[in-house]
Amino acid sequence: MFDTFIVNPMINALLVLYDLLFNNYLLAIAVFTILIRAITLPLNLRQQRSMQRTQEMQPQIQAIQKKYKDNPQRLQEEFQKIGYNPMESLTGCLPLLIQMPILFGLYRAIIVTLGSTPQAMFELTQRTYSFINLTPLLPINNFFLWLNLGQPDPYYVLPVLVFGTMYLQQKLLTPQTPPSKDGKEDPTQAMSKSMQTTMPLMFGFFSLSFPSGLSIYFVLSNLIGIAQGYYMRRVTAKEKEEAAAQKKGRKGKQEIVLDEPAASSADVAVAQASDAEITAVSSNPPAPSSTKQKSKRKRRSKKN
Amino acid sequence: MTTIKRPAFRSIFLLLIFAGLFLTACGSRVASSNWPGLSTDGENLYLANGFTVTAYDAATQEVQWTFPGPNDEVNRQVQFYSAPSVQDGRVIFGDYGAPGGMLNPKVTVTVYALENTSPEAAIDWTASEVATDKIVAPPLQVGDVVYVGTADNKMFALNAATGAPVWPQPFETGHSIWGQAAYRDGILYVTSLDRSLHALDAETGVEKWHTQFEGAIASQPVLDEDLVYVAEFGNQVHGVDVTSGNIVWSAPAENWVWGAPAYADGVVYYADIDGNVFAVNAQTGASLWQSTTPGAVQTNPLVVDGVVYIASEGESSNEDVTAGALTAFDAATGEQLWRQITPAPLFTAPVAVQDSVVVAMNSESVILSAYDMQSGAPLWNIAPASQEE
Repeated sequence: MFDTFIVNPMINALLVLYDLLFNNYLLAIAVFTILIRAITLPLNLRQQRSMQRTQEMQPQIQAIQKKYKDNPQRLQEEFQKIGYNPMESLTGCLPLLIQMPILFGLYRAIIVTLGSTPQAMFELTQRTYSFINLTPLLPINNFFLWLNLGQPDPYYVLPVLVFGTMYLQQKLLTPQTPPSKDGKEDPTQAMSKSMQTTMPLMFGFFSLSFPSGLSIYFVLSNLIGIAQGYYMRRVTAKEKEEAAAQKKGRKGKQEIVLDEPAASSADVAVAQASDAEITAVSSNPPAPSSTKQKSKRKRRSKKN
Repeated sequence: MTTIKRPAFRSIFLLLIFAGLFLTACGSRVASSNWPGLSTDGENLYLANGFTVTAYDAATQEVQWTFPGPNDEVNRQVQFYSAPSVQDGRVIFGDYGAPGGMLNPKVTVTVYALENTSPEAAIDWTASEVATDKIVAPPLQVGDVVYVGTADNKMFALNAATGAPVWPQPFETGHSIWGQAAYRDGILYVTSLDRSLHALDAETGVEKWHTQFEGAIASQPVLDEDLVYVAEFGNQVHGVDVTSGNIVWSAPAENWVWGAPAYADGVVYYADIDGNVFAVNAQTGASLWQSTTPGAVQTNPLVVDGVVYIASEGESSNEDVTAGALTAFDAATGEQLWRQITPAPLFTAPVAVQDSVVVAMNSESVILSAYDMQSGAPLWNIAPASQEE
């Protein structure tokens, strides 16, 4: 089942791309990576927004955790009220988990496509769809610079790149969380932070054993993830600015709306007093007045 | 909904580590797993299959030696699949590469020369600096030189007694070499997946000519008096002039011709991966007869005393049961003489030894089977080593 629905389509997709892209296997892997990222993009975006939302709710989350730490049921209820799901904290791992079958399949697809043994090449003929003519395609050009795409990189360049790009991607995709007031770190956040380093280290280590073609897929995929993460941060920052601006605008309108219906004599007296205050402000210290006037004065003095 | 506890994080973390380990375990640094390599010197059978190379007495089926032996300082993760070359009491073969270690991605490929002695075949010499990718092609020993083709596109010549390089530098083809070289009169004929037949000066490794074909070539060239026969993935077999490299004739097949052609008594025999078997005139390529065998044929036909033996993949009634087939044809007419179904598909060329045809296979119960050449009657089986113990 795994072969039929995952591996074989990948093999044939790589062959088609290889044929279209001037028999360049590296280009085929690059385009294939872009396609995979495009397919998983909605999931990645959803996960990023979810993480962003979680980060914004952190003060509330920490307050609830502190208040109801001994009452798990109430804790969950309060979380539900604010729309927070603790599992979302782990969504940083979700794209990786979802990509696992893709990685397994792609590993197998690269080995079979490169046909580095007679058995592998024969296996390729059994897995190729009928519309693909293998004769002009095989054998696949498996060398790129110093790399044999079917063998691990002997000079450690790719493992270092895999680690570095994955680390950067994790960093960009995981929002920064403010420290809690009591100085203690949320366990879920601690786990996410730990995985930011552990996962890249792990994949960098595993890349010592992977065929270079698969390591190149990782690097390209991570680079696309970095670009995506950077773009998302800019978009999110812009959205925040716009939201903040809108909020400010709404608050200002609310105050003006509250002033308008003040037609009672008391309100008129207040208004007259404020006018007097304005004219006297340059020469005399302001006289004690109502709270509203006090707050207005505070705002004015802040501006000055 | 229950509170998320720390152990759940740990579980997911461990799952990811396991997944990563599994992914790494799924493929080692070298592509393992190929069909067994089988050769014979008329007395013994030499089988390269996985982690060992084993010599069996063909008459008694007793193990003469197994390499690596208990005292051999060899990386036990190394695998062997290229058929050993046997000449003058020396057995030479290559491995699929040894991993460098946990933090070392480098793969070391080695050529071994053993003294063909029982009960332990002592290592005569090894050469580890000559290749960076697996040795698929069987080496060719000619006098005191051994020619070895590699999957990293090189053909090199070593002194058969010492393992020292003979040529100043290896000859480089455009892609992997999977077929054993052929030699005659100072010329070495080398085929490669780069779709070419190369003729080299055997003393210096300098190319004299090469001929390009439509498809990749996975098998060895076969020499006649004045022609060399080449089978290729372009669904053809060619007769090529040994001096000029000009294609004299081309004979068609219905799909890839994977195994090398066989030559006997003015006729060339070959088979394709659709299971079609052909016989053509060796001088003109004109068709003589055509027949079929069940399943794909990867192997070279074996021609002995007017009989053509074809080992094939066989056909299975369902996915759970796989079987191979060994078929004997009358060389003159193509008439089927007998057929035996084997426990596993056959992807290794059969060999003839002491009035029997021997085939190798990857099966849980059998690795070598012998059949009477005339009648096809089963003679003996050899089980894998773990079963025999």
